[in-house]
Amino acid sequence: MAKNVLLVDDSSTMRKIISRSLRQAGLDFGEIYEAGDGQEALVMLEKEAIDIVLSDINMPNMNGIEFLREKNNRPGIKDIPVFMISTETGDDIIGEAKSLGAIGALKKPFTPDKVNEVLGPLM
Amino acid sequence: MSSFTEINNKIIESTIEIFTGMVMMEVSVAGEPLLEMAALKQSITGMVGLAGIHRGVLAVHFPKQVALDVTGSFLGMEVEEINADVQDAIGEIANMLGGNLKTILSDRGKDIQLSLPSTISGDEYSFTSHADVDQVILPFQAPAGVFYVEVELER
Repeated sequence: MAKNVLLVDDSSTMRKIISRSLRQAGLDFGEIYEAGDGQEALVMLEKEAIDIVLSDINMPNMNGIEFLREKNNRPGIKDIPVFMISTETGDDIIGEAKSLGAIGALKKPFTPDKVNEVLGPLM
Repeated sequence: MSSFTEINNKIIESTIEIFTGMVMMEVSVAGEPLLEMAALKQSITGMVGLAGIHRGVLAVHFPKQVALDVTGSFLGMEVEEINADVQDAIGEIANMLGGNLKTILSDRGKDIQLSLPSTISGDEYSFTSHADVDQVILPFQAPAGVFYVEVELER
């Protein structure tokens, strides 16, 4: 069954670009939901049937690392996989995200081909 | 830390990569780096700050028409005025370039912190540094005109 995706990024431009890249990559996914920061993402995860989260790191209010930490404390949503898409690709930041359960990371900028290569197996 | 010439070259590579791969627009270097930025007229500037082991700012300066063209190509829609979409798109270009600059300066991550992107726009404004900085202003040619990528790093 096609997976429902939650895009978490404070940039509406980037949410549109990721959404477009998923379509251009020809990936099979269901609904695409959007959130502007970690707090909105938590609300969305509690409310909607989301299968995978694609999240930025550097965001206002609640950043991607804080989001992972908070999600891990909520039994109903803690097992939903999160994949990071960010300009933040330093070893220690990505290492921290992975230690909090992130299943991978994709660096901005990216191409639809790269999206297909990295996210295809997860869809 | 890389030399400033290396940083210039990598910022050029990053700019072309971002425009080709994400904005879906061909851009090229438009001459030698500038020593000083003239007053910006009918323009929008996107910027991110760097703090930590390297402190400074990365800014992208777009004349209005170039910004509208870039945003239109980025989002795949027609844009006629500087609005929230343009501010967000220009901020995100600065954010991606800032992320690349951060990686150029350090491949670790937490030793340099990147601010959230912000934009300024107006009929006429100046963008100047008051600190003792190494500075480069790189001009790029886009289909609708020239835009500039500026890096300032405190010495």
